[in-house]
Amino acid sequence: MSVVLAVARKEIRDALNSSWLLLYAGLFTMLALGLSYLGERNLGSLGFENFSRTTASLLNLCLLLAPLVALSLGAGSIAGERDRGGLTYLLSQPLDRWELLLGKFVGLCTSIGLATTVGFGVAGVVIAILASAMDLGTYLVFVTLVLALIVVMTGIGLVVSVISQTRVQALGIAVLVWFIAVFVFDLLLIGTVSSTSLGGGGLMLALLLNPVEIVRVLAVIQLEPDLQILGPFGSYLLEQVGTGGATAILVAALAAWAALPVSLAAWLFESREA
Amino acid sequence: MAHATPPMLHITNLGKRYRKLQVLTDVSFDVAPGSVIALLGANGAGKTTTLKCILGVMPFDGTVEVDGISVSQHGKDARRRIGYVPQSAVLNDADTCYEALEFLAELKGAPRGRVDEMLALVNLGEQRDVAVGHLSGGMRQRLALAGALLADPPLLLLDEPTASLDVESRMEFHRLVLRLRDEGKTIILSTHFFDHLEELASRVLILDSGRLAFDGSLDELSQRVRGRRYVVNLNGNAPSRFMEALSAAGIGPERVQPAEMRWEELLLAAAPERQATAEEQA
Repeated sequence: MSVVLAVARKEIRDALNSSWLLLYAGLFTMLALGLSYLGERNLGSLGFENFSRTTASLLNLCLLLAPLVALSLGAGSIAGERDRGGLTYLLSQPLDRWELLLGKFVGLCTSIGLATTVGFGVAGVVIAILASAMDLGTYLVFVTLVLALIVVMTGIGLVVSVISQTRVQALGIAVLVWFIAVFVFDLLLIGTVSSTSLGGGGLMLALLLNPVEIVRVLAVIQLEPDLQILGPFGSYLLEQVGTGGATAILVAALAAWAALPVSLAAWLFESREA
Repeated sequence: MAHATPPMLHITNLGKRYRKLQVLTDVSFDVAPGSVIALLGANGAGKTTTLKCILGVMPFDGTVEVDGISVSQHGKDARRRIGYVPQSAVLNDADTCYEALEFLAELKGAPRGRVDEMLALVNLGEQRDVAVGHLSGGMRQRLALAGALLADPPLLLLDEPTASLDVESRMEFHRLVLRLRDEGKTIILSTHFFDHLEELASRVLILDSGRLAFDGSLDELSQRVRGRRYVVNLNGNAPSRFMEALSAAGIGPERVQPAEMRWEELLLAAAPERQATAEEQA
């Protein structure tokens, strides 16, 4: 386990030395503050919103930005080492391949999670000071969900990284995966549902196939379970099993998504050429 | 009854195929503890692939054992006994020399105190807090050598470590290799350079198109080469006169080579069938 921690620490140190972490944290902070400010102005008054409204505004933004960052960095990880000739060198050390992969996974999740938490933390403090009402619990649940999505997407990014020959190829595939998960998946499912006899079970399974959709529905259920915002799949799930049941199913699915991609990446990595 | 010393490295029928390309075929050799082996071969002959198989970083056919440990079955344990220096430095440019070695020490389970010790050994004590990116090529390779030595492994694999270095840096690296040889390390040195090879290596392995074409001492190899070398005694005449005579006979100066072992000669000496093919084609 010490090897995993050593690789993870190195990954975090490299991330802290690079400018992307600062940029990402800064961008999140600015957007969190900006969205809150602009949302309140649209309602007619000037000032900061409370936490619930801010988190609702941030939801769509996070579902766009966090998966992109996690997928890209995950995808660049192993493929980047392979590109610069460092992978053979790392694998020539007394470690197992799964240890290297797990170390990179832990390090990347921690780095991106840290940047996200700092960004949201700064925004949270500012809003808490300036806003009239405060719903800290909801805000924390929301941040936790975004962190969970980062874990899932970093794992998927690592799968992409392991199967790619070059860093550029990995990043290309990562952007494609992001585009499908964020933009195309819903449209594809709606088309499939309307053209086939996909039943209720099929609808629910379809929802569970996309971690971005899982987090979106979970976040909406926690914030304000509005059937219009939930979308067709979320609404169906809520109607069938209720809020508690839906939350349990979605959390279990998210946990599976957190574990499966990184396990798949480790399995694939075992048999790949260095 | 005396027992033979078990080999530090035992390779039997090593084979490696990249898709349709057979890169290594039936390579077998043993390396005794404390010996220095020069691994020679043209580009693409399979030198680096052989080293990668010894490290267990890629799947292969055949058997590779390091200090009696099967690389394919217990790769991690086998790698504990190996220090590896790649052709080009791959340590992170942003890290200081100390940080780069500290990370490697953590991976190898070596005590941190070894980091400063190894930096001093390769004469990089003063560069301890200098970023790797600011080091010269020679310094980077010495740093990689320090990294390879952190856990005091009995076997060192040096993959053309001086390929991109100037003469002075190459000499300094060779001095370090000699020192390590004298300390009893088993060393496999993949190289293109023949300068000081006699001094460095007790045995030469030549790979030709993925096959072991020669396995013996440098003296044995030289004997083979000498059998086909003509030495012209100028008998006090100026070399220019000799060149003029050659020119009159229709032999241009490009046919006259310095009297040192050239790569082509070594390869032809090691692989007679290759020479036969060349002659048939001619």
